[in-house]
Amino acid sequence: MVKKILGKDSLPKPTIQPYGDSAISLNYGCEGYNDDINTAVLALATQLRGTGDWEDVVSAYDSLVARFNPALISLDQALKTITAAAERLQKIPPQLPAPHTIDIPVYYGGKEGPDIERIAKTSGYSIDKVIKTHSQQPYKICMMGFLPGFTFLSETPKALHHARHTSPRLSVPAGSIGIAGWQTGLYGLDSPGGWQIIGRTPLKIFDAERDTPFLWQAGDYVRFVPQKGEFPHAKQDVETQP
Amino acid sequence: MMRILNGGTSTTLQDAGRPGYRHLGIPAGGAADKLNFALANYLVGNPWNTPALECTLGGLHARFERDTVIALAGAEMWAQINGQNLPNFTAVPVKAGDILTLSFARHGVRSYLAVAGGLSGQEDFGSVSTYTLAALGGVEGRALQAGDNFALSEPIGERQKIPSGLVPYLSSHVILRARPAPEFEQLTAESRRHLFVNAYAASPQTDRMGARLRGNKIALAHNVSMISAPLLPGTLQLPPDGKPILALVDGHCTGGYARCLQVIRADLWQLGQIGPGTRVSFRRCFIGEDERALAHRNSFYGGLMDGFSF
Repeated sequence: MVKKILGKDSLPKPTIQPYGDSAISLNYGCEGYNDDINTAVLALATQLRGTGDWEDVVSAYDSLVARFNPALISLDQALKTITAAAERLQKIPPQLPAPHTIDIPVYYGGKEGPDIERIAKTSGYSIDKVIKTHSQQPYKICMMGFLPGFTFLSETPKALHHARHTSPRLSVPAGSIGIAGWQTGLYGLDSPGGWQIIGRTPLKIFDAERDTPFLWQAGDYVRFVPQKGEFPHAKQDVETQP
Repeated sequence: MMRILNGGTSTTLQDAGRPGYRHLGIPAGGAADKLNFALANYLVGNPWNTPALECTLGGLHARFERDTVIALAGAEMWAQINGQNLPNFTAVPVKAGDILTLSFARHGVRSYLAVAGGLSGQEDFGSVSTYTLAALGGVEGRALQAGDNFALSEPIGERQKIPSGLVPYLSSHVILRARPAPEFEQLTAESRRHLFVNAYAASPQTDRMGARLRGNKIALAHNVSMISAPLLPGTLQLPPDGKPILALVDGHCTGGYARCLQVIRADLWQLGQIGPGTRVSFRRCFIGEDERALAHRNSFYGGLMDGFSF
């Protein structure tokens, strides 16, 4: 069900329902990207995580799943808690902590961005214009997930929207930047993937050995800074998979 | 020391997992079959969540270089010590020089090898659970290979027995009780019925992340364009091709497919006994049945093993 967005000051009412016997799903169900809803979902997730009552709270673009232990909280209680928290959000506009903005060096096109020509073709832009258009705006980190470090960003400029590959690539290298529909995403690990890859960053988004394993969190902003020259392979530790 | 002579199909070090990081894309992981993992530890006198080996499909060979006590719980793998048969679900003493061999799994796909005193490994995010995709935990974040060694320590507690009524029933046909997941109502009425009637077969690519199920196709009543949403282990997802995928213990933290069913918590341990070719059926969980099943199992097994719950 697609709900009407009521305008900047008022959030739509989310659908809140059980997800199996140990989790609650909350879903605003918006079509396309809605920044207010994503902020609401992030704020709610942060708040729920802070209570310590939930085993896991995962937020996405417009939805959230909170898992609880039914031996400790009943499903009804869990539903009530989430409903009350969502209602409070309707009254008090959600606030997120001041976000960090991170500059990400990106090598667009070539071997690092094998699908950039396809994006250029469908948009009618030159490759340079695709790069310029894609890197001219900051993006909000809306959610992390799928696999460690995978970063889902806010809306890509309209001209660059493009459907996923019909069958996914078997391996997309870590650091790759791709487009799927209106989304831009970053691959945190080498993994299979169906997004249209337009570039790659040498930054290691996820590194378990580092003091801060993740470079950013949901709610932060990133800016893509196009780089010239060859992709610096040496700087990146090559992940060996068994 | 315990020396791995052959890692088998896929043997990894596991514990109770690393919950609380799903919002960063890190699944909780841990033993795929938490119940049999806990029972193996119980038998050798370890706390239930002590790191142990999870042997998938079989083939593990190991040599013990000091006297200790071991136990196997889970799938039957024709285990032997120096060529002599070893009973499942029983703590047995082994001597320095003894060689343990596991053959091929039947009645389930995963067997847990617990050693008195426990095993240790690389700790990431508060757990030694091996997550090969991100090379976390275990031995260099990978499945065991010949030549890997584990230090052995003194036993923690006494050998134990499992009351016969509490030995888990394992089969190559896994029946999972399930409740609706968020997009269940968007399936066609026929599909909603099919899900609870037909048996599926897990595809040959089944691993700790997921099982693609072969069987009757399932369809959505309307074309739903999903944007990525959170996903849990035990969720049956429906891609546009109509062939459902069951998310398992290392399943993705978010997904872009309709979420149809969710396996109830009391049955989640059985996900660890799904491997290539396993038949899988879903049974609709009656109202209140999930709570009763969970309360019963928690009281049975929580009574046996201190601090254990599903």
